[in-house]
Amino acid sequence: MIAPTPETLIGPLSLFVHAGSGVLSILAALWVFKGALNARRENAERTRTAAWAVAIFMAVAWICGGYWYVHFYPADKGMILKGPWPFAHTLFMEIKEHLFFVSLILAFYLPIVVRAKLYENAAARKLALCVSLLIVLSGLAIEGAGAVISYGVRVAYIHPQAKITHP
Amino acid sequence: MNTDTLTHTDTSSQVSRASAAFGWAAAITILFNLVLASAKDYYPPLNKAMAALTGHHWITHGLADVVLFFGLGLLLQRTPWAAKTAHLPAILVACVLAAAVGLLGWFWFF
Repeated sequence: MIAPTPETLIGPLSLFVHAGSGVLSILAALWVFKGALNARRENAERTRTAAWAVAIFMAVAWICGGYWYVHFYPADKGMILKGPWPFAHTLFMEIKEHLFFVSLILAFYLPIVVRAKLYENAAARKLALCVSLLIVLSGLAIEGAGAVISYGVRVAYIHPQAKITHP
Repeated sequence: MNTDTLTHTDTSSQVSRASAAFGWAAAITILFNLVLASAKDYYPPLNKAMAALTGHHWITHGLADVVLFFGLGLLLQRTPWAAKTAHLPAILVACVLAAAVGLLGWFWFF
């Protein structure tokens, strides 16, 4: 068995933190949605904390995902393009890497929206509901695209043509 | 009175000036993101120039989006028209849908 070293761990670790913090950001956005739906003076602070969690987790997903994308994805991309699912890169990754910025901007915007007293401001409440729901939906789409990309690499490794060029 | 709020927003029917300004900034940045993604894919020299700036086009793209969002947000806070927020949620939904459909269409067909 080959013992893992920091060099071999940093790639998968950055990928797992990217996906994990993305999920946590989606869950926190769902929390904000629920807080805005049942906006009361008592839960206002919790909703604001959740909004900050959305922004922080999304920023972590951005940094870790970016590190992995720049340093480790090129090898996977080469495999995907030689495999039977090239669209995992040409369509899903291309959309994912750009749609992510939409979620990121909305995540940075959410703490600004929930600074208002949602329990007495209908317009702010509507905006918070809208922004948090958009983060949840776009985040789920991005997570789904990540799964397709991951499977694109997997099928490439078991594809005979890819095996010939990458033993 | 909260200085972050416009004089006519204490009726609770409007969001704060900061929320409105950064909402418009988010909408514009989301559309800018779509245009930049298509432009750098269509025009490789732009992609190369962006890569030369930070080492990777995606890093430059992300930083440009974030800088534009915060820069526009801070700028729009000083303009009175940013307070027009009645349709802001619908505009944000439309911009996100346009970005999603636009990216799908661009990378599917081109």
